[in-house]
Amino acid sequence: MDNKGWSLKAGSLLPLLLLVSELLLGQSVDSLPICPTGAVNCQVSLRDLFDRAVILSHYIHNLSSEMFNEFDKRYAQGRGFITKAINSCHTSSLSTPEDKEQAQQIHHEDLLNLILRVLRSWNDPLYHLVTEVRGMQEAPDSILSRAIEIEEQNRRLLEGMEKIVGQVHPGVKENEVYSVWSGLPSLQMADEDTRLFAFYNLLHCLRRDSHKIDNYLKLLKCRIVYDSNC
Amino acid sequence: MRAAGPTGMDLWQLLLTLAVAGSGNAVSGSEAPIPKDSQVFIFSWLQRICNSRTGLFFLATPATLGRPSQSLQRVNPGPGTNSSGKPKFTKCRSPELETFSCHWTDGVHHGLKNPGSVQLFYIRRSTQEWTQEWKECPDYVSAGENSCYFNSSYTSIWIPYCIKLTSNGGTVDQKCFSVEEIVQPDPPVGLNWTLLNISLTGIHADIQVRWEPPPNADVQKGWIVLEYELQYKEVNESQWKMMDPVLSRSVPVYSLRLDKEYEVRVRSRQRNSEKYGEFSEVLYVALPQMSPFACEEDFQFPWFLIIIFGIFGLTMILFLFIFSKQQRIKMLILPPVPVPKIKGIDPDLLKEGKLEEVNTILAIHDNYKPEFYNDDSWVEFIELDIDDPDEKTEGSDTDRLLSNDHEKSLNILGAKDDDSGRTSCYEPDILETDFNASDVCDGTSEVPQPQRLKGEVDLLCLDQKNQNNLPSTDTAPTTQQPSVILAKENKPRPLLISGTESTHQAAHPQLSNPSSLANIDFYAQVSDITPAGSVVLSPGQKNKAGISPCDRPPEVVSLCQANFIMDSAYFCEADAKKCITVAPHVEVESRVEPSFNQEDMYITTESLTTTTGRSGTAERAPSSGMPVPDYTSIHIVQSPRGLVLNATALPLPDKEFLSSCGYVSTDQLNKIMP
Repeated sequence: MDNKGWSLKAGSLLPLLLLVSELLLGQSVDSLPICPTGAVNCQVSLRDLFDRAVILSHYIHNLSSEMFNEFDKRYAQGRGFITKAINSCHTSSLSTPEDKEQAQQIHHEDLLNLILRVLRSWNDPLYHLVTEVRGMQEAPDSILSRAIEIEEQNRRLLEGMEKIVGQVHPGVKENEVYSVWSGLPSLQMADEDTRLFAFYNLLHCLRRDSHKIDNYLKLLKCRIVYDSNC
Repeated sequence: MRAAGPTGMDLWQLLLTLAVAGSGNAVSGSEAPIPKDSQVFIFSWLQRICNSRTGLFFLATPATLGRPSQSLQRVNPGPGTNSSGKPKFTKCRSPELETFSCHWTDGVHHGLKNPGSVQLFYIRRSTQEWTQEWKECPDYVSAGENSCYFNSSYTSIWIPYCIKLTSNGGTVDQKCFSVEEIVQPDPPVGLNWTLLNISLTGIHADIQVRWEPPPNADVQKGWIVLEYELQYKEVNESQWKMMDPVLSRSVPVYSLRLDKEYEVRVRSRQRNSEKYGEFSEVLYVALPQMSPFACEEDFQFPWFLIIIFGIFGLTMILFLFIFSKQQRIKMLILPPVPVPKIKGIDPDLLKEGKLEEVNTILAIHDNYKPEFYNDDSWVEFIELDIDDPDEKTEGSDTDRLLSNDHEKSLNILGAKDDDSGRTSCYEPDILETDFNASDVCDGTSEVPQPQRLKGEVDLLCLDQKNQNNLPSTDTAPTTQQPSVILAKENKPRPLLISGTESTHQAAHPQLSNPSSLANIDFYAQVSDITPAGSVVLSPGQKNKAGISPCDRPPEVVSLCQANFIMDSAYFCEADAKKCITVAPHVEVESRVEPSFNQEDMYITTESLTTTTGRSGTAERAPSSGMPVPDYTSIHIVQSPRGLVLNATALPLPDKEFLSSCGYVSTDQLNKIMP
């Protein structure tokens, strides 16, 4: 019902969003000079970093929502995936806060690390998602283009977050912890139903995790930059 | 109208109710045959039937109804019931991403408060595993009827939930979701507006509308980010106008009319979501009244201006088109008049050629005899007023000349009274100015004078005759021919015509029979036109009747006498002759007749000579056999004495003599005269 209109609208918005994101972000985040800790003259402030990170996360969540809706409309109708799709996502093992109280209680450094972990966990699945969608028969361009875009933006967000972490509490170098994704064989199954269900599940998880990261970042931004007074 | 329809429906409903009640009992396994609530329901249903419009009273006992539950499917839905008759989830909603609630519709258990029969169970997945058992709804009350409210302790975001609805033990509906997918915020609160400004016309105004986010949404801590959509409309309109979603809590609304009232409402949704929450309360915007000085007229589409500018633009285009195709349009509207050409002569050469070239070419021309009067600078030409319309109205020049209409003939003869415009063709500066002029000058520089003189003499004589005939009408010569009269100019005017004109006051019935002369083509070929408007005549045409030299009336003689003595410079031979001999004017007149047949219509000295020589003889002028002179230059006498025409065929080809025709001396005259 609304999915089609939303997808179409999103499809037209996609290039606009890309442009906006390019304009807003300018060069890639890593090319911008980052304030060394304690430096007085800082070119990129924490506020700007958070602003950019929030924009990126919001953008990624938009893209993943659209991608999921598109896939749902095309492949998942009438297949009863929904009831089956309550499978776990590979990032569920990461103990992320699940409601507002928990999110408020957790320390922002920990929350930042959690975000990093989630973002890292998605590097591999996104890469394979792009590859497999390309290999799909009659690969829909809308899904493929969004997948490619999400993969790239995810990488940039990760770099930005690492810089933020470097600013917020520098010196602590965390071991790179992330969840391993093992869903690749499912994506390559010969059986079409199984394969499509694997795609559906992956996209569903991606939408959920992008929303989670977006929420965490907005919460952190208000807390750190605006002192809980957005 | 059959009332069986509604009645049938009601019957089916009754059947259904009883069947459900029976089946429900069977499922739940309760012992009671029919639950109390079902009985209540049946009674209420019966009441409904009694109150229905059909007015039919239908009583049915439960005992008669023992149908199985398949009939459940065919019941027509009434208000508030779903089609299948089962409870069904209508909506699950989380207003602030912290709690959520689920609502369902009641089945046929309409109006019955029976939480027990309909139950909601939920299960949520946590840490890779589903909890094995379904838990019942913690709160059936807070969210209203047929709802289940999950407070924040039961709510986990990004966790899949599944809920199911049971009715007396049987699952009637099931649904799975995550809480972040069902976010629909509450409406904003605290709407108010402020006036931004009023337009200069006093008709429109801008306002700023502000609101507060829903109180339960924690936007301050950034847990949820909302965007808002404002809608407004005039009070009596039905269609709301929508504005784009904004993230801020205030938005300006532009261009509201001052004399109208507006309604404004706002709704919100979570950013990235699709679904909006409910609308806020409507805010009434009562704008200040329009001041009486406001413009009366609203902006109307400027059709008038558009039409004006459209016409202007089209006109410009049309003009551009015309200017670009000017030549062609000119050709269409005013076709070019054929340029008068001289046979055998290229007009371009005449335009651009040098004097000598043109002269040579014209020399080759038939009618050209470049001989005389090269250096006569005082030669002037008959000025024909060709623009005079009278000239064109007459059939022939002869008529004009011979007619009683003196003015006409006068005009024909070039009644330009001014001599200022007359320039000699010898003046070099006019040679290049005008094509015709130069041509005339060039063409006639060698020869034209004789002819011109001749022409003038002719005309003058004619005029003079006319003039002189006036007082002596009765003594007019019987010859009805135009006679060349040696004109005597009373005034010292260079132009003969003018002199003639001045003296020519009385309209004289020219000749008693001008019609006889109508055949006379008293015409000189116009070879050219001077810039002053004078026409250079060339005697190329053979005329049917020549024009005899005009007779000199007796009174002229007296004048001649006096003038002859005074000024010997300009007088024509005839004049001289007349001065000498008075008597033979009659003979002259008689001689005029034979000269009528002259081919040459102009007076020639020869003819004069011959005519003068013979007195009383009516013989034809020997000049009839004389060759036709091409040109006769007319010497315009300064002091009006007359004209002396020099014919080329004169037996006295003495140029000296001829050139001095205007200055005929007594000796020369004697020479001429036999």
